[in-house]
Amino acid sequence: MIKLADVRKSYGSGKNLFPVLKGIDMDVEQGELVSIMGSSGSGKSTLLNVLGLLDSYDSGKYLLGGTDMSNLNETTAAQYRSKYLGFVFQSFNLINFKSAVENVALPLYYQKVPRKERNAMAMDLLDKVGLTDWANHLPSEMSGGQKQRVAIARSLITKPRLILADEPTGALDEQTSHEVMDVLKEVNKEGITMIIVTHENEIAAMTQRVIRLRDGLIESTGR
Amino acid sequence: MFDVDKWLEIFHTIITNPLRTVLTGVSVALGIFILVVMQGLGFGLQNGVYKNMQDDAINSLYIHSWATSLPYKGLNAGREITYKNEDLQHVVDKYEEVTTFSGRMGMWGVAMEYGSETQNFSLRGVHPGHLELERSIVTGGRFINAGDVADARKITVLGKTIVEDLFRDKTPIGEYVKMNGVLFRVVGTFEDPGSKWENRNAYVPITTAQRVYGRNDQVDMFMVTTGELSLTESIEMAAEIDAYLKEKHVVHPDDKRAITVHNNNESFAEMVNVFTGIRTFIWAVGVFTLLAGIIGVANIMSIIVKERTKEIGVRKALGATPASVLGLIIQEAVFLTTIAGSIGLVAGVVLLEVLAMFIDHEFFTNPTINFGVCLGALILLIIAGALSGLLPAIRAVRIRPVEALRDE
Repeated sequence: MIKLADVRKSYGSGKNLFPVLKGIDMDVEQGELVSIMGSSGSGKSTLLNVLGLLDSYDSGKYLLGGTDMSNLNETTAAQYRSKYLGFVFQSFNLINFKSAVENVALPLYYQKVPRKERNAMAMDLLDKVGLTDWANHLPSEMSGGQKQRVAIARSLITKPRLILADEPTGALDEQTSHEVMDVLKEVNKEGITMIIVTHENEIAAMTQRVIRLRDGLIESTGR
Repeated sequence: MFDVDKWLEIFHTIITNPLRTVLTGVSVALGIFILVVMQGLGFGLQNGVYKNMQDDAINSLYIHSWATSLPYKGLNAGREITYKNEDLQHVVDKYEEVTTFSGRMGMWGVAMEYGSETQNFSLRGVHPGHLELERSIVTGGRFINAGDVADARKITVLGKTIVEDLFRDKTPIGEYVKMNGVLFRVVGTFEDPGSKWENRNAYVPITTAQRVYGRNDQVDMFMVTTGELSLTESIEMAAEIDAYLKEKHVVHPDDKRAITVHNNNESFAEMVNVFTGIRTFIWAVGVFTLLAGIIGVANIMSIIVKERTKEIGVRKALGATPASVLGLIIQEAVFLTTIAGSIGLVAGVVLLEVLAMFIDHEFFTNPTINFGVCLGALILLIIAGALSGLLPAIRAVRIRPVEALRDE
């Protein structure tokens, strides 16, 4: 599903060049539930951004579903994101003037799915995460756990092959964290590959494999 | 183009900060309003002056005489020059372009008497061609014809003011008016739309005027049309006539006062130039005013983009292409300028319509703008809207999702 070979990335330029990823080799199989752990500054967020085509890398090879992802232009990257990837963020990143159902349906808007059809699909997913009654509420009217469940529903609507979650429980209390993790595990059981970045051991322990990152290099692959 | 979600988003951003939207809108509306009103006023001035110029045929030469200003060939300055029938005849014979002509022999303060009414008006002896040259309109009966001139008939065509003052409600045609003691039969009435003073004239055949009032073969001034001659050709013709008359009447070639050949072709061309200049200037002022409004819109749009950085980043992560982000911002800018601009446009047009109803001055009439100008202004607005959205939109496109999503 994912294959990274000697991926490097630096920020800045010239004398101020600051390497963040110093040669990452990594494999994730289809259907895996993997967590990436590391202290802050270890490069785990950068790695997730590279995996999510949100950021470019300087050298190395990244194969996503067998396709080479080097030198994508913005439009192609957007199309790949739209087709293959779903994102779940720590701060949810819901659009605050759109209702839950509209937020969930938004990715399909960029795939030019008709409004009725995509809203119907969004309602199904909200039902799945137990938020049918909240469909027409704005994010500001919901709790953190509810918002994250809306975000998960949004990440699922394009039927992605890979979901990338950046500290999905970082802003949630313990009980809500467990609920959200249950939902993510549920999703993974349907065959969707999932990579979760976290710094919480407890969360990492709920995944099948933990990849540890240290100072821009993979410390252990958890295999 | 019609995409419900896009429009919902546009309305949302517009409604979120109504004061900002209104202020921006006002600057654009004001810009187009000023542009439209100034164009309208320009047209009003132009219409007024053109209408005034239509008082006389545009393709004509008016040939006047005065006292000499320079001594010449032993003759002192200050000598009065008076044209004769033969001067007019020479011009008419020499230039086949002359289709219409008229001499003019005028008298001021002529006592005109009908029934118990006596008032002073002007009398003018003219040829039949005077009607066309002066652009008078016959409102009843007929104008002077060739037979009247040939036989020096004592007939007259009265101006509107004379008819009103002497005859009140009666029909003047067929009646007799005594002018300085000589009876004239009224054969027609006329009106001059260009100038009110023309309506205080009574026209009589030029031969009659010369004979009855003892002016022999004198002509105060005369006028001829230049037919289809171009501007340059008419200027040449005027110069030739000027030279001929100066030589014949022994006038110094540099004397600018004794003989004047006024070329209406030339004045009209000059006037057209002046108005083209004025209108261009007005456009420039209007466009710059509009520009100020557009800079305002661009400013607002870039603030909006900045505020929505995170949201745009999220959209990109969810699959928004650069083109869709660009389209969203530009469409919003175009929408804002078009709505605000249309309000300004309509307000301007309404103001001009109201002005047009109340103002009818000699030099200012009908200050409405035509459809072309409206259309031009609208196209300008839409282009302006797109331009004002372009820079902020490019900035939005450059937002990298990573930076936008970074938690602060």
